[in-house]
Amino acid sequence: MLIGNYKETYASDEAVFRTPAVRGWMVALAVAAMVFPFVAGDYLLYLVNLMGVLALAALGLNVLIGFTGQISLGHAAFMGVGSYTAAILATRFGLSFWLSIPAGGVAACAAGMIVGVPSLRIRGLYLAIATLAAQVIFEWAFTNWTSVTGGIRGINVPPARILGAPIDDDRRAYFLIQAVVAVHFLLAANLRRSRWGRAFVAVRDRDIAAEIVGVNLFRTKILAFMVSSYYAGIAGGLWVYFMKVVTPENFPLSLSIQYLAMVVVGGLGSIPGTIFGTVFMTMVPELLKLGTGLARAVWPDAQSYLFPLRDVVFGVLIVVFLIFEPHGLAEMWNRLKRFFALWPFEK
Amino acid sequence: MSHLKRGATFLLALSVALPAARAADDVITIGACQPITGRFAFAGVALNAALVDFVAYANEKGLVKGKKLAYVFEDSGYDTDRAVACFKRLMAQHSPVIMYGESTGLGKAIAPELTSRYKVLYGSTSFSSELADPKTHPYSFVSGPTYSDQFGILLEYIARNKGAAKPRVAFFYSDTEFGKDPIPFARKRAAELGLDVVAEVVTKVGAVDVTSEVLQLKKTQPDYVIFQGYVLAPIPEVVRAARDFGLKTKFMGTFWSMDKSIIDKLGQDADGYMGVNPYAYYYEEGAPGIAAMRAWNQKAHPEEKYRPSSYIQGWFTGMVYVEAINRVLAAKKPVTGENLAAALDAIKDWDTGGVTGKVTFVDHKAGVGRVYRANAQKGVFEPASDWIYVK
Repeated sequence: MLIGNYKETYASDEAVFRTPAVRGWMVALAVAAMVFPFVAGDYLLYLVNLMGVLALAALGLNVLIGFTGQISLGHAAFMGVGSYTAAILATRFGLSFWLSIPAGGVAACAAGMIVGVPSLRIRGLYLAIATLAAQVIFEWAFTNWTSVTGGIRGINVPPARILGAPIDDDRRAYFLIQAVVAVHFLLAANLRRSRWGRAFVAVRDRDIAAEIVGVNLFRTKILAFMVSSYYAGIAGGLWVYFMKVVTPENFPLSLSIQYLAMVVVGGLGSIPGTIFGTVFMTMVPELLKLGTGLARAVWPDAQSYLFPLRDVVFGVLIVVFLIFEPHGLAEMWNRLKRFFALWPFEK
Repeated sequence: MSHLKRGATFLLALSVALPAARAADDVITIGACQPITGRFAFAGVALNAALVDFVAYANEKGLVKGKKLAYVFEDSGYDTDRAVACFKRLMAQHSPVIMYGESTGLGKAIAPELTSRYKVLYGSTSFSSELADPKTHPYSFVSGPTYSDQFGILLEYIARNKGAAKPRVAFFYSDTEFGKDPIPFARKRAAELGLDVVAEVVTKVGAVDVTSEVLQLKKTQPDYVIFQGYVLAPIPEVVRAARDFGLKTKFMGTFWSMDKSIIDKLGQDADGYMGVNPYAYYYEEGAPGIAAMRAWNQKAHPEEKYRPSSYIQGWFTGMVYVEAINRVLAAKKPVTGENLAAALDAIKDWDTGGVTGKVTFVDHKAGVGRVYRANAQKGVFEPASDWIYVK
C-alpha cells in the first residue's frame, strides 16, 4: 500500500503527474486512446469526438469561472467566432486547417479581450448580463452580416487535409481532434501552476488582496477572458471541420448555458472535472435514450411518456448531483481514488 | 462499489450490443431521427406517428411485393449534434437503406458523409430549397414543394386572380433560415409575374408586440400579405390587429402555418385566411388516398378523430419511399440508396390518390400544391384553387 509520497525538489512537488502510479495510468490511457478508434464503431467515435470538442470549449470556460472567478454567458458566441473565422479562411482564402484553426482561436481571443473589459468594473450577476450582451450581438452578426458569414445558410467547409488525405470520417477526425484536445489540456494544467495561473486563483479568492500583493487585476482578468475565449475559438475551429457546415443556429444561448452546466457539474476549477462534466452532459441523455429504446421493446407505447420524461430525469440527476456533491464529479472521483488508495484501512 | 460494477457491466453490454445483426433480406429497413421532443415536437410527434402507421398499413396491404418494411426511429430532440449521433447509431445498428431526418440542419450536417459513405435515400421534415439540389445532395429529397415553390404557387394564384390594378404584395417573415429561405426567389418571381412587392417585414419568431409591423402594413396597403417562417405566433396577432385597423388585406401562409390549429386560434377572424398546402386535409372527401388513411386510422386508432397536416406529410413521405422501392424492384435491381435515388428522379405524373396532385420529381422535389381558404364557420380549410404546378 502507498503510504506517502516523498518529494525532494520543488519541481517534483509541482509536477503535473506527480506519482509513478499516475504516470502509469496516463500511459495506459494514451495507449487505450490509440487503440480505441480501431475497435469502436462510427457512433461511439462520433460521440467521443463531439465530447472532445465540447470538453475543450468547457475547459476554456473553467479557466474563466473555476480559476479566475469571473463569469460568462457568451461562451457559445466565442466558439462561433472561432468557427466562422476558420470557415471563412478555409473557403475564401483556401488556408489549410493548420492555419485556420489557430486563426479561429486568435480571433475569438481578440473578441474575448474586448468583451472582458467591463469585468474590471462589474462582477457577478452584472458581468453575466454584460457577457450575455456579447452573446446576443455575435449571434445577430452571424445571422445578418450576410456578405461575410453567409447569413442563415452559413458556410459549407471542405474537409481538412493532412498530406493530401482528407479528414472526412470519424476515425481520422478522432486523431486530429483528440491530439488538439490533449495538447490544450496539458497547456491548461501547466497554466495553473504558472505565475499567471496563481494570479488567476488569487483574483478569484480575494481580488483586493491579490492587488495588494502585486497582481495587476485588469491584466489578469483580461488575460483570463482571452485564454477562455481562445479555447472556445479553437474548439469552434475544430467543430467546423468536424461538422463541415456552420450556421448561426449552431451557437445559441442555450449552448452557453450548457457549457456552464458542464463546468459546474464537473467541478469548478478542476481539469479532470471538465472532462467528467462534458461526459456526463453528453452521455447521460444518450444512455437515457437507449433506456427508452429498450423499454419500447416491452411496452410499445412507452415513447409518448418516456421521451418527455427523459429531460425531467436528466434535470433531476443534475440537481441530485449538485445537492450531494456540490464540488462536482471531480470531487467524487477524488473520493473514489482515496477509497482505493487507503483500502482496506478506510471504508 | 457494487453500483460501479453494475454500471461497468452495463457499458460493456452496450458496446457489445451496438453493432447488432443485420436485417434479413426480405425486410427493408427505414430509419428515422424524429424531433419528438424539443422545439419541433408539435410536428415531430405527428410525423413519427404517420410513418409508424404508414409502414404498418403498407405491410398489411402488401404494398411492397414479397418484402416487408421495418421502421426504426429515435428521438433526436431537434438538436443537430444529437441528430447526427442518432443518424450514425441507426446506421450502425440497423443499416437501413432509407433514412428520415428531423431538420434542415441535420440534412446539411450529414450531407458530406451521406454522399461519400452512407449512400441511403434521405427524406426529411424540411422544405428547404438547399436540400433539393441533386448536385450537392444526391440522396436527399423534399417530400413536396420547397418553400420557394410554395411562394411560387401563391404568387401564381395572385397573378391569376388579379383585377384591373396591379396587385400589391407584402412578405412578412421571421429572421431565421425557415423565414428567409424563399424570399430571394419570391422577389424575383413576383417581378416576373408583374406583382408589386410593397413591403417586407422581418420579425423574431413568436414576436408578441406587432403594432409597428401592422402600422407598416397600414402605410403600404398591400392586397396580399404572405407569412413565412412562423407556425402560429405572431400570425393571429397580426391578422387581428389588421382587422382592427380596418385593413382589407388578404393574409396567406405556407405549409406550417396552414394547419387547422390556426383557425382554432383565430376563431371568427380566420375567415378569408388563405395559404398553400402541398397535401389534402384529413377531412377532405373525394380523395381515395385520404379515405384509405382515414379508414386505417379508424381501425388502428379509433380514438383519433383528426390528423394534422404534418401527419399527412409523414404519410406522403412513406408513399414516396414505397413508390421508389417498387420501381427499383420492378427493374429487378437491388434496393440500395443509389437505385432508390435514381428511381425517385424517374417518378413522373404519379397518381397519389388525391393525397396531393400528380407528382413529378424534378430536382428531387415535387412542385405541386393547392391554395386553401379558411371557413371559420365550419372550422376547416376549403380548396380555393385546383392543384397548381410549378417548376
